[in-house]
This record gives sequence, structure tokens and C-alpha cells, in this order.
Amino acid sequence: MGPLILASAECDPAADIICKPDNVIELFRYDDALFSIGPFHFTRTVFLMFLAMAIVLVLLYFGLRRKALVPGKLGVLVESTVGYVRDEVAVGIIGPEGTRYAPYLLSIFLFILVGNLFEVTPFISFPITSRMAIPGFLSIVTWVIFVVVGFAENGFGYIGGIVWPKAVPIFLRPLVGLIEFVSTFLLRPITLAVRLFANMVAGHLMLALLLVSGWVFMSSVGDIGIRSVIGVPWFVFGLGIFVFEIVVAVLQAYIFTLLAAVYVQSSVHPEH
Amino acid sequence: MEAIKGAIALVGYGLAAIGPGIGIGIVVGNAITAMARQPEAAGMVRTTMFLGIAFTEALALIGFVLFFIA
Repeated sequence: MGPLILASAECDPAADIICKPDNVIELFRYDDALFSIGPFHFTRTVFLMFLAMAIVLVLLYFGLRRKALVPGKLGVLVESTVGYVRDEVAVGIIGPEGTRYAPYLLSIFLFILVGNLFEVTPFISFPITSRMAIPGFLSIVTWVIFVVVGFAENGFGYIGGIVWPKAVPIFLRPLVGLIEFVSTFLLRPITLAVRLFANMVAGHLMLALLLVSGWVFMSSVGDIGIRSVIGVPWFVFGLGIFVFEIVVAVLQAYIFTLLAAVYVQSSVHPEH
Repeated sequence: MEAIKGAIALVGYGLAAIGPGIGIGIVVGNAITAMARQPEAAGMVRTTMFLGIAFTEALALIGFVLFFIA
């Protein structure tokens, strides 16, 4: 029981101000590759990324293979998802020209959704979006898209409208322009990535702590006797959180897509 | 004077969670009011509510990440 209880390294508050496990850096980079081809290192996260991509492709292929008048169960699921992202998110937020961005929005929605649902998938139990590289890269791509769209639709008036907003009294324009500039070009991509990343890390941590501590207590009934019933409420609470995490996984994929659409919309129609 | 010891980043995360907690309460409360008054606008209100939650929540999540990397 000893090594199980001491899941993390022992922390000495007298020696160190901040106590944290020494593998936190894994959230941001992961050096322990299974094998490498040139500069490409294949880790568990990379394999799960390819698995997520394959799942999305297979779903879309088999869901939309036959254009039937009455689609099957999978067809209904895929068609309603595609229709929701195209009609409600892309067209509903960006406007009639939003269909141009529907493929991108659908791609990130499905990829993030599958990646998040790996968190509650048995035998995987690991959300790939809880490694900073993946939400970071997705938000950089989104940033590039909305900046390029802003310049393509409005020319240099795009950046002019941000740093010198016409709707604001003239003596406030420098201040508002500075805030808008920082928030549009720096805070938007950072918060977009951090929101997804932190939600998934928090959910993963909570699930691991509750379920593992429940299991450790209940399985140590031989050592500590009747006191091991402490594990039962932990386990039940963990199962409750498990259901909650399914909701969070879907909601975070939806929010990421929604915010990407909102950012593109603010580049297409910067006056709103 | 005795120096403060322990996980000070944890206190920072707790402080960072206060504002978003209040903010999300206000956002959701007003969204519920709006949906109750205008049930036909519920879809639009719900979308905007999620947007507002996402923007408000960002500060708490930044605090959560800083707790790990501080």
C-alpha cells in the first residue's frame, strides 16, 4: 500500500516554498519518445492524435457515404453535427459568407471533441488536449486565419479600426486602441489555448485523484480494515465527476469552435 | 518576522477564482432571467451565455495554469 499512497514525491515545506510534482513540465513538453524518425518524435500523445484523426475521418466517411433520403443512425448523427456546425455556428455567427469557414470549424470541432472524449474513454483515459502543444497549435492556426481574413476583407483598415476605433471619443481612442490591440492579437490566442488546456488538465487531475484514491482505499482493506470504506464516497464522487467531464468535453469543443467563429466574424465585420 | 511558507501559488489560484466565480454567477443569472422573459430567444441567449462564460472563465484558468508553472 505504501508506494500507492505516495503517488507523488514527498514534499518538504521547510525546504521549498512551492511544492509541486517535478514532472509538471510534461504538460508543456514531452521528451520521452517511443521512437523517432528524424526530427519527429512519436510519443503517446502523437499516436492518440493520429487515432483521433482516424476516428474523425472514419466517422465522416461512413456517416456521409450514402446520400440517402432517410439516413441510418450514424448518418443522422454525423449529418446533424455537420449541419449544426455549419448552420448554427458558421452561418449563425459569421453570417451568410460563413459557409466558407464551415470546413475549418467542423474540423477543429470534431478533432477537439474526439481528443477531449479520450479523457473518459476506457483504456485510454488521457485527453490529448491536456498537452499544451495541441490547443496551442490549434489556437495559432485560428489566429492566423482571423488575422489573414481581417486583412483580406478590410485591407489595412483592419488594423486601423482596431488601434484607432472611430466609435470612441477622440481623447479615449489611444487608450481603447491599445487595449483592443493587446486583447485582439495577444490575449485572444493565449486565452483560447489556455481555456481548453486548463479545463482538460483540471478534469483529468480530478478524475485521477478521486478514482485512484477511492480504489487505493478500497483495495487496502486488508491493511486498514473497516476504515477502507473511506474510499467508497471518493469513488462515487469520482463517478459523478466522470459524467460531468463528458459534458465538459463536449462543451469545451463547442466553445473553442464558437470562439473561433466569433473571432473570424470580428475580422469579417470589424465594426460590430 | 517569520517568512510565509507553503504553496503560495495555491493562494494565488484561490484569489484568481473569486472574480470569475462572481462573474459567471452574474452571466448565468442574467441569462436565466432573459430566457424566462423571452423563451423564444432562448437559443440565442444560450449561445451568448456560453460565450460570456468562456470569456469570464479565462482568468480563473490562467490562475490555474500559473499555479502549475509558478
